[in-house]
Amino acid sequence: MTTSVLTDPVLPPGESFAHPALSYRDEPDFLRAVGSFVQDGLEAGRPVLVLVPGPRLEALRDLFGGDGGAVWTDMAEAGRNPGRVLSLLATFAARRPGRPARVVMEPIWPGRDRAETVEAARLEALVNLVFADRPTAFLCAYQEPALPADVMALVRRTHPALLDAGARGARECAEYADPLAVCAECDVPLEEPPGPVAVLPYTDGDLAAVRAFLAGRLEGTALSAARRSDLVLAVTEAATNSLRHGGGRGTLRMWSTPGRVHVETRDTGRLDDPLAGRFRPDPTAASGGRGLWMINELCDLVRIRSSADGLVLRMSMDLR
Amino acid sequence: MKAAATVGRAYDRTEGDRMTGSNDTRSGPAPASAPNHVCACYSDDRTWADLAYGFLAPALERGERLYYFADATDPDAVLAALAARGMDVAAARVRGRLEVFTADDTYLAAGPFDPDAMVGQWHDATAQALADGCTGLRAIGEMSWCARDVPGADRLLEYELRIHREVFARLPRLSALCLYDRRLIPDADTAVLTGAHRAAPVHPPGEAPPARPPLRALPHPHAPGLVLEGALDHDGRTATRGVAAALSRMADDGDAEVDLSALEFVDVVGAGVLAEAARSLPAGRSLRVSGAPPTLHRLLGLFPELRAGLKVVR
Repeated sequence: MTTSVLTDPVLPPGESFAHPALSYRDEPDFLRAVGSFVQDGLEAGRPVLVLVPGPRLEALRDLFGGDGGAVWTDMAEAGRNPGRVLSLLATFAARRPGRPARVVMEPIWPGRDRAETVEAARLEALVNLVFADRPTAFLCAYQEPALPADVMALVRRTHPALLDAGARGARECAEYADPLAVCAECDVPLEEPPGPVAVLPYTDGDLAAVRAFLAGRLEGTALSAARRSDLVLAVTEAATNSLRHGGGRGTLRMWSTPGRVHVETRDTGRLDDPLAGRFRPDPTAASGGRGLWMINELCDLVRIRSSADGLVLRMSMDLR
Repeated sequence: MKAAATVGRAYDRTEGDRMTGSNDTRSGPAPASAPNHVCACYSDDRTWADLAYGFLAPALERGERLYYFADATDPDAVLAALAARGMDVAAARVRGRLEVFTADDTYLAAGPFDPDAMVGQWHDATAQALADGCTGLRAIGEMSWCARDVPGADRLLEYELRIHREVFARLPRLSALCLYDRRLIPDADTAVLTGAHRAAPVHPPGEAPPARPPLRALPHPHAPGLVLEGALDHDGRTATRGVAAALSRMADDGDAEVDLSALEFVDVVGAGVLAEAARSLPAGRSLRVSGAPPTLHRLLGLFPELRAGLKVVR
């Protein structure tokens, strides 16, 4: 790598939580700012995790000779469902106990689907909650000129500090908001299915019927056998949660939109913990969060809405 | 008596996967290759009497000792029913060839139902019958106590799964019929418990079998272990505890086997049950899992810690 690209250290190496949003214009801008953050971290002997979408990941990794000692992860794959990123971050930190780490994230990129964007904003809010007293320095990159204004507004509400690529030092963000308030904002109403919907009420003893219903309707879709099996596993966990915690019954709905299959369970349960299902559980502990964590791991997008009317869990798979 | 004769013949027909292994050569070869641990369900007294007589009468003629362990039925009514169908019960009793007990006075008297104690008692009773000059021991047990609030009743499935290997495979001179009275036992339980017998349950004429249980567990045909059918999920939860308990006690002479080739689905709780059974095996023993459905492989990928003690084979 050339040192000319990595001149300005954008953050002093810290021992405490930092979570600024980096605004960048284009790839050279990104490589310069993020590159020096990674470089500083590596030089200081910090564990470094780079979690950005594929093309940016490759360009950045090339600067470091293809590795450089950082962990390189494609956000568009590992974070396809934003609901599983917190678990990934926590696992990264837990494997390096007591060591201050650096994490680069780009959870929202130009063109990212609206529903995914809202869940990614929720992830950013929860980072503030979970890492508040941990020695992890984040740098979250946003290509501001290519992102809608309301998305950038959400970015400012989820980052205590802002940083412009090329500028020296971060500035405090006046619009930063309480993480739980942002989570509530992210509970936007779920869009109604645009076309035909298959409906199946279920109760105790119906799990095999639920699976047969799914399997029949997944037949002939572009979803691979392995991903169909993943969806069936996820929906069985969701329906099991209805039976165990959601009043003993529920209603399943299933439909398609271009490029996606959606399955939703609805029951009379409540879920008030915004962190439920976001950390790797003990598989033998009988907690409700175990099923939700699996659902997050197995599906491409998971949305949960809890209200006085009950609990809605919507699982989506991309046809890819 | 025609129905009784039909039912009786049903017990002694040859079964595909005959019992193997014999420690007992004191009285010559085992009687043919009929399964020696069978079950039946019924819902009226006439059918009950046909089943009991049909099972016991041929064995009495062969010189075997007969034990009947009653639960809901009065012991005198058992004797009366056998006598009414033509058995000389008085002579049989005098010669020590027929005894009717109640479960409460015998194996449920000492405390909670205990599968380990039961296994020992079958070996002792069979040895005693042979020592007394009988050609074997044939027993009937009414299982309706499992639907009452009997301590240890939740271990009945574990027991039914274990005795295939621990009792009946080792005692070819012993045969037993487990009677499931559908008027007293919920059909869901009858389905699971009768399903735990390798021999198909005897369904008397006009008796529709109970609906297939969500999870059926039955003894492995030729190894310590089990065959599971259906789904290891929340719907089969009443059976999973018995499955785990039976599996964890099955590795005394090698690894335990669990054949999942007829299992369509495993959820995370089910995978945990298998892992827990593997962990509770004696040191150095593993749980060999064959024919696992794709979801088990996926779950073991998500939770590698569940692999401890499991040998997953194709």
